[in-house]
Amino acid sequence: MYPELTVPLLALVGGAGVVLLLIAVRAPVLRRLALRQVARRPSESALVVAGSLLGTAIIVGSLIVGDTLGFSVRQAAYTTLGPVDERVVSSSPALGAQVASRVQSGLSRSAEVDGVLSGVVEQTAALHQKDGRRLAEPRVLAFDVDLGQAARFGGAGVSGLSGPAPGPGRTVVNEAFAKALSLSPGDSIELFLSGTPQTYRVERVVPNEGLAGTGFGSTLNRNVFLPPGTLAGSQTPGTRWVTWVSNRGGTETGSARTAAVAAQVREALGAVDRQVVVSTPKKDVLRQAKVTGDTLGALFLMIGSFSIIAGALLLVNVFVMLAEERKGQLGMLRAAGLKRSRLVGAFTLEGAVYAVLAGALGVVLGIGVGRAVAFVAARIFSSFSTEGNALDVTFAVSRTSLVNGAALGLVISLATVLATSLRISRFNIIAAIRDLEAPRRDKGARRRLVLSTSAAVLLALVSVPVVAASSPLGTFLLPSLAAMCALPLLRRWLGSRRAQSAVFTGILAWTLLVNVVRPDVYASSSMSVFVVLGSLLAFSAVALLSDNQQVLLRPFRRLLERPTPNALAGRLALAYPLAKRFRTGATLIMYSLITLVLVLLIEIGGVMMHGIDDQVGRSTAGYSIRLDFTPGQVVDRVESLYKDQVSAVAPLLTATASATDPGHRSTEPLQALVVGVRRGTTRTMTFELRLPGLATDGAVWDAVATHPDYVVVDPFFGSTGGPGGEFFKPGDTFEVTDPVSGTAETKVIAGVLSNAVMFYSPNAPAAFPLITDVTAVRNQFGPSASVASAFLKARPGVDLAGLSQQLQASYLDAGLVATPMPAAVRRLFEANVAFFRLMEGFLALGLLVGVTGLGVVMVRSVRERRRSIGILRALGFPARTIERSFLMESGFVAVEGASLGSLLGLLTTWLLYQRSATFAGLHSGFPVLWETILVLVVVTVATSLLTTLGPARRAARILPAVATRTAD
Amino acid sequence: MAGEPLLVASAVTKTYRTGAVAVPALCEVDLEVQPGELVAIMGASGSGKTTLLNCLSGLDEIDSGTVTVQGHDLFAMPDAKRTAHRASAMGFVFQAFNLIPVFSAVENVELPLLLMGRSPREARERAAEMLETVGLGHRVAHRPNELSGGEQQRVTIARALVARPAVVWADEPTGNLDSQMAEQVMDLLCELNEAEGQTIMLVTHDPAIGERARRLVRMRDGRLLDDVRRDPVPAHRPLVTTS
Repeated sequence: MYPELTVPLLALVGGAGVVLLLIAVRAPVLRRLALRQVARRPSESALVVAGSLLGTAIIVGSLIVGDTLGFSVRQAAYTTLGPVDERVVSSSPALGAQVASRVQSGLSRSAEVDGVLSGVVEQTAALHQKDGRRLAEPRVLAFDVDLGQAARFGGAGVSGLSGPAPGPGRTVVNEAFAKALSLSPGDSIELFLSGTPQTYRVERVVPNEGLAGTGFGSTLNRNVFLPPGTLAGSQTPGTRWVTWVSNRGGTETGSARTAAVAAQVREALGAVDRQVVVSTPKKDVLRQAKVTGDTLGALFLMIGSFSIIAGALLLVNVFVMLAEERKGQLGMLRAAGLKRSRLVGAFTLEGAVYAVLAGALGVVLGIGVGRAVAFVAARIFSSFSTEGNALDVTFAVSRTSLVNGAALGLVISLATVLATSLRISRFNIIAAIRDLEAPRRDKGARRRLVLSTSAAVLLALVSVPVVAASSPLGTFLLPSLAAMCALPLLRRWLGSRRAQSAVFTGILAWTLLVNVVRPDVYASSSMSVFVVLGSLLAFSAVALLSDNQQVLLRPFRRLLERPTPNALAGRLALAYPLAKRFRTGATLIMYSLITLVLVLLIEIGGVMMHGIDDQVGRSTAGYSIRLDFTPGQVVDRVESLYKDQVSAVAPLLTATASATDPGHRSTEPLQALVVGVRRGTTRTMTFELRLPGLATDGAVWDAVATHPDYVVVDPFFGSTGGPGGEFFKPGDTFEVTDPVSGTAETKVIAGVLSNAVMFYSPNAPAAFPLITDVTAVRNQFGPSASVASAFLKARPGVDLAGLSQQLQASYLDAGLVATPMPAAVRRLFEANVAFFRLMEGFLALGLLVGVTGLGVVMVRSVRERRRSIGILRALGFPARTIERSFLMESGFVAVEGASLGSLLGLLTTWLLYQRSATFAGLHSGFPVLWETILVLVVVTVATSLLTTLGPARRAARILPAVATRTAD
Repeated sequence: MAGEPLLVASAVTKTYRTGAVAVPALCEVDLEVQPGELVAIMGASGSGKTTLLNCLSGLDEIDSGTVTVQGHDLFAMPDAKRTAHRASAMGFVFQAFNLIPVFSAVENVELPLLLMGRSPREARERAAEMLETVGLGHRVAHRPNELSGGEQQRVTIARALVARPAVVWADEPTGNLDSQMAEQVMDLLCELNEAEGQTIMLVTHDPAIGERARRLVRMRDGRLLDDVRRDPVPAHRPLVTTS
């Protein structure tokens, strides 16, 4: 993923490497210092590396998820399209013949094309009797093509078709079709061609490659190849005359010629161009592959970024602790004449060793993480599909992703180490040597005050237009930064604690509540907004907490003052985290940030599943089954023949179309399915947003019925994945074009549906539905529109699965597919929730970073407090009390961090639920999943305690006689 | 001096082992200490004086021999019991002060009392009194890094004495102090010994410190070289110590 980032990232890593190498070569003392510090305590170095490698692993894992999904969609292109680059579809034999001849002659001299093939395709159904069972498949594509030509189309062996054409009464089927009906060569099948059953014998089964697996979409099809001429005179409305064009070159290189070849095709078609549909399926699929891979990869990377922030904090914490531990020696080095810049060099060199080791191991772990995510994602994607044509997820790793992941991890680690080294290299030499409190730095204080106040004023001024425009990132970030910069000034007036409390309360309140005054800040679907939001919340809340820990713990004071071993252990346990505010704060941020996002994901999943019955009701408008069939008289027949089980059938007049994006996210035309509904049939379907002036949902449907330019849309119209956003609103306009006639009309969004799942066609799952009145569809699309779908309302108590089976069996000749909608909606919601679970699992890696971070802090604390532990033991503290105090300390930090994160997560989700488009159509109530959150907190605390058990035991084993004498 | 000895050490032996190298630190040391004594243990660096203190106080294990304090055989007790005994019967003063850095002076001093189960209020009051006694009544709420070296050592002494232990072990208590501070600390220890009869075992390599004790035990190579009781104590001379 992101090949455009490889060069800049490698340049950064290379630059840093050269500088570090120069330091190492030119300053052997620094090199020795750095390397010996690493080698001095191998187990602790290993812990630092373990904590740091997770960041790289998460980045690499995210990029691999993108690789895998992009590759999987591309694989679909290889399988289902193979050599097909352009496709021209006509709806009459005469037109089809004209197209075939014009394209054939027009492209015969083209250097860009290596094959043109024409044929007839009919959507049909098939039946196979096997061992007394009737196996039916209502969705089959029957092809009438010259197999000899097809085998040579696009080069030998790429189409999946080979061998002679089937003779009369015989047929060739692809593997997908054979699998669906358990077919083997020699078996007999019934095909409902033009609605009439005809018996064929299977001559051979061909692999699903290229033309053998192709169809009208990008998914794998169940195809049957008929003897030449079988469909020549077909009058069935669903029959299409197709001319396929193959570009010169391989699957992907050929696709690069698409624009030129498509222009040549249009030129060759001449006047006929306006009567047919010219499409570029492979280019579209490959573009979709890139969008899918990039979107999901970016989604995981953004989710992972919380863990990466946690990893960076861990590094900061580790280096601050290292500096504190080595304060004396660093002071001596400075006293002996070592420049500050050299000290920074030595620290950075040491950090670079950890970072390189962590980077290398992180890449290996990242591949494992990516593989695990791909495995789970494959299961989830398979549950998204009801037709067995789910995306086949194939694990893939690109070299670019590995290089980018390793380089990005390294850059983040080195930058963190460098920034921390710069900070920790500023110390008072005398205070460091004598282990005294560092004196206040008055030098330059006035200059810093002026600078920070000026920055605060500047940021506040810049904030005004940004907040007025509701620009999400700026609205959250700029006023918060302004407040932070004003801190030095406020400290002078209010004192340190009050000033900090005021500023951090302000940032916390602003981040949580800004949506009240600026509702559009949640309209963005950009994950970076959520990263900033989460980080600001965690940072400000932890800073506020750190400043007021004493106040918060006041109720427990009596408990801790009791003269019992536990109370004494508790006092010790609290004393250190409260005294070491920086490291405690950094650890708390790690915990609260990850828990915040985990709770957010848990709650979003909870909201999705909450009131699912209500969701089903609102999204189905009381209809229980969706019917899709070959255009014909199905609706009338169902209504009359199934009166006892069916109370109503609402036919849908549908036409495929292309549309501009009302959200202006892309200039590429969107694939749309215009659905015409009769007035009153969908009146109970609810809207998330309505055109001003339309007070009720019914009013929107009435307006659609009376205004042919009004449409209603899905909240996810034009979305390419990731969280939803308010990209368009009622009143926005966009263009809808009939690809056959070229007629374009401007449509106005009258309402945004709460849930449009009912309107998605299983025949064109990638097409976004646009719902309007049936007359409006007829007027714009004329003969291109047909009634090929319907909503069916079953009578109370009817078994929907049973009725669906009955209908499919009865109308096999019409290729009818009956989908019980309540179950489909539920499955869709469950699959979405499963996807959230996957993201939670991915994010849990961040929790691992937090727990490792706490472990590192505790290990170093044991070393740092060796002497204190020794004296406590000498004074009579039992070993168990020492052990308990370490466990309590770790538990305290984990409980505080996880609780704070949970609270912030709940608050954030509730605010998002109230105001964000992310929850469009999900307003059935806000459940608080206390049990799940409690499990999360308990698991977090338990894991933290387990990590601390080792250091705690080591602390308890410290011999007082040794510890009281030696510093280390 | 007659009466029941406070401490009896018989044939105490201790050897440090680092890999294959064995370094004898104490060789069959016998020692008896009566209540109210101020014993200075002197010797060159590496003579075994700190090891002796650690072993006699039960902070470190011994290889052979016995140590009884107030009639209790320290090394016959399990670690937990020995720890509890230490809490009730002993106080410690170390060269490096060894205060708990995250606790204030009074919180450091009250620790032994809380360990003994005294009520928080009583412990706090007694600790404040003790700090007053050592001249730090005005520094009760200060943390160690806000105190000078001499003040820190006085807090350590207050902590060692607050629970009225049978014996106070002081390992180079003036080693980290300048001469003026060292003198103040020694004055304090001698005064406590004389006025309150506090038994003090003091390890030092400084002859000037050793001269202020009634009993002087010299060590060399892990053995007691001589054991001299002086009554009265030689006239007090200003201490000469290095900081």
